[in-house]
Amino acid sequence: MNAIALAAQLEATTLFQPDLVTIENLQVRFGDVVAVESLDFTVRRGEFVSLLGPSGCGKSTLLRAIARLVPVANGRVSLRDPKLRIGFMFQKPLLLPWRTTLDNVLLPVEIQLGGSVVDQTDHARARRLLDMVQLGDFVDAYPHQLSGGMQQRAALARALMGDPDVLLLDEPFGALDELTREVLNEELIQIWQSRETRLHTILMVTHSIPEAVTMSDRVIVLTERPARLIEDVEVGCPRPRTPDDPRAVSVMKHIRAMVRGRR
Amino acid sequence: MTSRVRSPLIFGLLTLVAWQVIVMAADIPEYLLPAPSAIFANVDRTLVIQLAVTFVEALIGFLIASALAFGCAIMFVRFNTLEEGLFPIAIAVKTTPIVAVAPLLVIWLGTGWWSKIVAVILICFFPVLVNAVKGLKAADAEYRELFQTLGASRAQEFRKLRIPYCLPYLFSALKISSSLAVVGAIVGEFVGATQGLGYLIMVSSAHLETATLFAAIAAAALAGILMFYVIGWTEERVVFWHSGNME
Repeated sequence: MNAIALAAQLEATTLFQPDLVTIENLQVRFGDVVAVESLDFTVRRGEFVSLLGPSGCGKSTLLRAIARLVPVANGRVSLRDPKLRIGFMFQKPLLLPWRTTLDNVLLPVEIQLGGSVVDQTDHARARRLLDMVQLGDFVDAYPHQLSGGMQQRAALARALMGDPDVLLLDEPFGALDELTREVLNEELIQIWQSRETRLHTILMVTHSIPEAVTMSDRVIVLTERPARLIEDVEVGCPRPRTPDDPRAVSVMKHIRAMVRGRR
Repeated sequence: MTSRVRSPLIFGLLTLVAWQVIVMAADIPEYLLPAPSAIFANVDRTLVIQLAVTFVEALIGFLIASALAFGCAIMFVRFNTLEEGLFPIAIAVKTTPIVAVAPLLVIWLGTGWWSKIVAVILICFFPVLVNAVKGLKAADAEYRELFQTLGASRAQEFRKLRIPYCLPYLFSALKISSSLAVVGAIVGEFVGATQGLGYLIMVSSAHLETATLFAAIAAAALAGILMFYVIGWTEERVVFWHSGNME
């Protein structure tokens, strides 16, 4: 076994995964309203972590604070490396309606480049990402010609185009119908597991217990506003998982009981 | 020819025929209501030249006003203090009727082109300014958050998000101000001019040449319609991704 393979194998085991994002005693405020209160948790490299809580509990605000979209009132959000690239995917696709799918996916590169022109390599990469999210045949379509699910796939490709180390997902498929959502969740897991992109670490906001448990390595369960930590649950079931996997079901029951007990 | 074009054409022709018949049957004197045939007889080279003069004044004023207003809108949205300070003044200027200001323009700028062009600018500027400011602010906060997460500069946010997002609002305003442009030019000509449709209207009404007057009115309407359609045609090509009105 050569050194590179060994390193890859080491990387694959959680033991050697450094903390990428560390949240310490975090408080976030909206004027007088406290959205997030004294929260501590970490996200390790290579992990898929879900933030689970009732609607309006402040978990989206928490995600926005990590992305530096809203200011932190108290405590700290620290990244392992300040150069770490953070990708953000919103609940809405937020595609620019005057751009084709391909041009929408190229947006992050255009912004990074500033004035200079997007080259062939970037075009090829954008096309590969669009193939990956099954939009290879819709490269030249405009957003209004795509279904809701396809728009969100394009948004995912755009988020991946920025080549993020950490991807923050704010109920990414929450606006879609359940069937489409399940398919997209599975595809997201496949992309996360594949080595085609640099992306290994995902932090996702959701209010669905089955979604959180089937998808993530860890579920961070939050209270109603202000969001405080109830428990940091290791899911620990082997992948691929299904929502009716008995071990997953027992984790879901555990979380549900915990959330109910809090009320 | 599609029915969208054919139907109004047929009804228009029928109206003209009815008009002609009524005028002839009732023997209405020409100075009161000229028959369409008498009006068409007045369509000559002079009329076309007067129409061209007014159209060019309206077009130049419209283009200058649109560019100025859009530039101002960008500055207003970029620098909030400018908007807070200047917007109320802009509204105050806007509420002053152009007819009241037009004589002053002639005193300052003479009876030549510029007094008309400035009148057009004054009348076209505000609808464009107001709608462009609105359009530049119309992009959802989430779109701006997206640009923030991508590390976009303010300039990039304007170029790649706010300005394209504003275009439907801008074109809505341009359609309004394009018809106003002709009004501005004619008002300018009423006050003091030696050519143009406004001048022709003044002279022919003073001489009770009602057929000429009607021809000039029709030409003025034509100028407005022409401007409106040019804008509409451009809009369909530039804002192809958007449907519906934005006001």
